[in-house]
Amino acid sequence: MKRLAFAYHPDYLLHTPPFEHPESPERLIAITEHLNNCGLLGKMTAATPDYADEADILPVHDREYLNKVESACRRGDMTLDAEDTYLNRHSYNVALLSAGGAIAGAKAVAEGAADRAFCAIRPPGHHAGRDVGMGFCLLNNVAVAARYLQARHGVGKILIVDWDVHHGNGTQNIFLEDPSVFFFSIHEHPTFLYPGTGRRWEIGKGAGEGTTLNAPMAPGAGDDDYRLTFEQQLTPAVERFRPEMILVSAGFDAHRDDPLADIQLSDEGFRFMTRRVAELANAYCGGKVVSLLEGGYEIGSLTSCIEIHIRELLEG
Amino acid sequence: MFVARRMQKTLVTLPPSASLAEAQDLMRGHSIRQIPVTSEDGKLLGILSDRDIRGAVLPAGLVPGFSAEKAETFLKTTPVEKAMTRKVVTATMNDTLEDAIVLLHDFRVNALPVVDAEGKVVGIITRTNVLEAFIDVLGVGEVSSRLEVVVPDKPGNLAQLVSIISSFHVNITSVLATGHVEEGKRANFFRIATLNTAPIKKAIEEAGFEILDPSMYTL
Repeated sequence: MKRLAFAYHPDYLLHTPPFEHPESPERLIAITEHLNNCGLLGKMTAATPDYADEADILPVHDREYLNKVESACRRGDMTLDAEDTYLNRHSYNVALLSAGGAIAGAKAVAEGAADRAFCAIRPPGHHAGRDVGMGFCLLNNVAVAARYLQARHGVGKILIVDWDVHHGNGTQNIFLEDPSVFFFSIHEHPTFLYPGTGRRWEIGKGAGEGTTLNAPMAPGAGDDDYRLTFEQQLTPAVERFRPEMILVSAGFDAHRDDPLADIQLSDEGFRFMTRRVAELANAYCGGKVVSLLEGGYEIGSLTSCIEIHIRELLEG
Repeated sequence: MFVARRMQKTLVTLPPSASLAEAQDLMRGHSIRQIPVTSEDGKLLGILSDRDIRGAVLPAGLVPGFSAEKAETFLKTTPVEKAMTRKVVTATMNDTLEDAIVLLHDFRVNALPVVDAEGKVVGIITRTNVLEAFIDVLGVGEVSSRLEVVVPDKPGNLAQLVSIISSFHVNITSVLATGHVEEGKRANFFRIATLNTAPIKKAIEEAGFEILDPSMYTL
């Protein structure tokens, strides 16, 4: 049994959409209720998030961008650009707290207080780039966690596994030329799904060439296709890269019940992916995994798959 | 769109007296495969492709005793006018990108020198330039989602779809309307600047249109 830290803050519910929107506080309400009901909350230790320090955000985002989001919230803007990425008065602070949740999970694992962590945070982060927010994302939580681990805990090589159904374009761009962070994304093919990037020949640039790996999946792909891709692409890449820590951008919107995409994973697909990441972590980095919530918009599959995800992180 | 918008205006040209070796160096240096050959006053005399150069060396190579050294001498001493293609398929400033696509396709050439009314070369448009235009038109790489809608082949459907999409305050970054495998129907493709396509798809279906399920492509 692994010791699992759980990062969550009730203020995550303050980021509320001004119109009907799939990325709503109800997601986290349902997750925490479900984890409580099935007795898993008691099996994890709380890692209480704080607002991320500027010093931890600035390696990832430009100051001008932070100012832009902060002042948009203060002015009362309803969106950042389009209606995808909504704002309210609290959104900037909640985004800092969301990044802070990623840091809290990373810290618990880096300091040895826990073997692994799951961060139930929002707003999500993987579409946010250095100077741009989009696709429901304001700050790139997983990138902040990676840079925090490198800067404050001397972690060298980090693997990010992004299985949100949408390509993690923000994360990819942030680490595009960085050979110390390996970014693996498995997602619905960009011809059919937002954001339209993550083609198989996007493999990084300059010194970072070869430490980005994209696996676009055909619409309708299911558990077996994902299993094959994990075996044939992720596993050998991890064997070569030898990470010291694994971060997961865990979206649950590749589930067949999720309305936002066309991938047909069952609950078992998420069990397999979590188990495989845990096995790779056991083999190469002392079992250390920090998983962060990204997307996942259908409450039934979101809660059941997070339960499975957490059980596998505890046991795998 | 006229070819001038998409042609390369910074031109690499050669005089007819230049050697094939010079031409080869220019091609390598600029990563190009064809060079217009022009007179002193800029008029088009011919076009030289890497294939023309190979074609010129090949017969020389059949002579007994031909060596790498001799090949080099041959390239250095043979003027481009001996190897260039004189019958050039050209585009004019009044030609559109559609014209250029058809010319490139029908005449099986890789590039069209663009000439003005006096016959002077003002640019060149290549297959690569056409592909670039196609990438832009399709909105490939722009942050967006794709929607494919099958509509009856009647006027007004596209307008109705656009108004449904715009009621969600979402930008359309690309539109394509084409024929469909089923007779009497057309397919409309949109790229729209949003992640959240579900409510838009629902509204389109409620208006009586058919959304193409991309999963069917995997078959």
